[in-house]
Amino acid sequence: MTARDDVLDLPREGPLQWRRYGVTIGRAALLLLLIAIWKLGADAAGPMYVADPFKVLERIIADTQSGTLLRHVYVTLRISMIGFVIGCASGVALPFLLRRLPRLTDAVEPYIMASVGVPKYALVPLFILYFGIDDAPKLWLVGLLVFYPVFIAVFAGIRSVDRRLINMARIVGASEATIAREVIWNSLMPFFFAALKIALPRAVSAAIIGEFLVGNEGLGYLIEHSRQNVDTTGVFAGIVIATAIVLIINAVLVELDRRVSAWRPIAREMAL
Amino acid sequence: MADPLLEVRDLSKRFASRAGRGPSPWVIQGLSFSVKEGEFLTIVGPSGAGKTTLLNMIAQIDTASGGEVRFQSEASPLNDPKALNPGLSCRIGYVTQEDNLLPWRTTLQNVLFPLEVQGRLTAETRARADLLMRAVGLADFEHHYPHELSGGMRKRASLIRTLVYDPPVILMDEPFGALDAQTRMQLQEDLLRLWNLGRKTIVFVTHDIAEAIALGDRTLVLSRAPAHIAGEHIITIPRPRDIRGIMTHPEFGALYQRIRAQVQ
Repeated sequence: MTARDDVLDLPREGPLQWRRYGVTIGRAALLLLLIAIWKLGADAAGPMYVADPFKVLERIIADTQSGTLLRHVYVTLRISMIGFVIGCASGVALPFLLRRLPRLTDAVEPYIMASVGVPKYALVPLFILYFGIDDAPKLWLVGLLVFYPVFIAVFAGIRSVDRRLINMARIVGASEATIAREVIWNSLMPFFFAALKIALPRAVSAAIIGEFLVGNEGLGYLIEHSRQNVDTTGVFAGIVIATAIVLIINAVLVELDRRVSAWRPIAREMAL
Repeated sequence: MADPLLEVRDLSKRFASRAGRGPSPWVIQGLSFSVKEGEFLTIVGPSGAGKTTLLNMIAQIDTASGGEVRFQSEASPLNDPKALNPGLSCRIGYVTQEDNLLPWRTTLQNVLFPLEVQGRLTAETRARADLLMRAVGLADFEHHYPHELSGGMRKRASLIRTLVYDPPVILMDEPFGALDAQTRMQLQEDLLRLWNLGRKTIVFVTHDIAEAIALGDRTLVLSRAPAHIAGEHIITIPRPRDIRGIMTHPEFGALYQRIRAQVQ
């Protein structure tokens, strides 16, 4: 190989490497820019309206050390996750039940779809009226907000399952339960994950909103209580932590999806 | 003479008519034939002759509008969708036009699927699956997903998925239709070799006359819709047959001409 070839080889490798680093550097630069804008905004608007990012960081560190922040995070996550499990389980189970009852499905489908339009947050006062001021109204809110995207996706997913795969399974002797578990469940995985990407962040948001209104613990309470005490830094600290939780949940979800969908050709090509 | 293993009697099919369109035409009308145990029956017919519909009814994934199908002289009601027994309790295997492999299962997991759902996954049946995988050259691809296989490999996988649980009758619906000529011949050879090992009863549907002659003991010709049997030909070319040289066999030409005259 001549020196000339080496020179020619360089640019072939170069742009690809640079593009990869470029994205990472660009992201870091964007984050710094956002923090800078935040800082400028804080200086311009004053601490009453926009908290200083460094004060927010200080507050987060102090509250973490005292343990109060972890307690709030735990309370919010607990409600989000229990509500999520309830909403998600019913959102999956109901379409599987309806699949066996096509005439009932035809009858109730328009009502279920119409109920999507009811603003769930508007129901919170009723939940408080019916279920008191403990966990129950918050769980109802979270559960309902999770139920709908999961139900709609699983319902559509079941309808899109390849009939030919179901016929194949029947012919080789699979029971209806096996077909539901093996053929239908696996076929609707892409739908299910699309729904989770909407439902999981919603679960956290719904728990926070529930805490604005009921109770004296949790990130929602932290944010609302800080506002009442004109503690804007506390409000911002709560928002930052809530955002971080949602981002972590999303990252876990993306990784889970990648593993579950390893068989899908599209996922692999996208990984490039 | 022994009773036929599978008997189709006066079978008819028309699909449900759509509102405002009048009655839909008959796809199949008055179709009768029978298959002996261990026989390789091929059925040729033009496209749209209702070949797939016929096999769907025998496999009981579709209803019949009239007539019956008997397996070992036992008739099944085919007019009520709720009474259908797809695959007749694992006694009728069906290799469809599409491979219908489960995309989230690896090749081996797909092949083992029938044994798994039938609760027959033992060391013995696993060994049989391994044997079949090796016989069709899939041994090195057992951990690949279907989308990572070639069309020919997917066909082989779907073929041995049916052979692995050893149903007494196997229906095949143009299984090699979508393949290139070379792969197709290879698969026809594979199929004959596998059939020679077990001598299953096979009903093989195709639109390719040469394929029907090369594989079958007997060939039925289906008419255009409404389909009925337009002709029957005993294929006397001795086995084992040379698939690649079949066209030069002295009996091939005359058979081909006679069948082609009936396939319209």
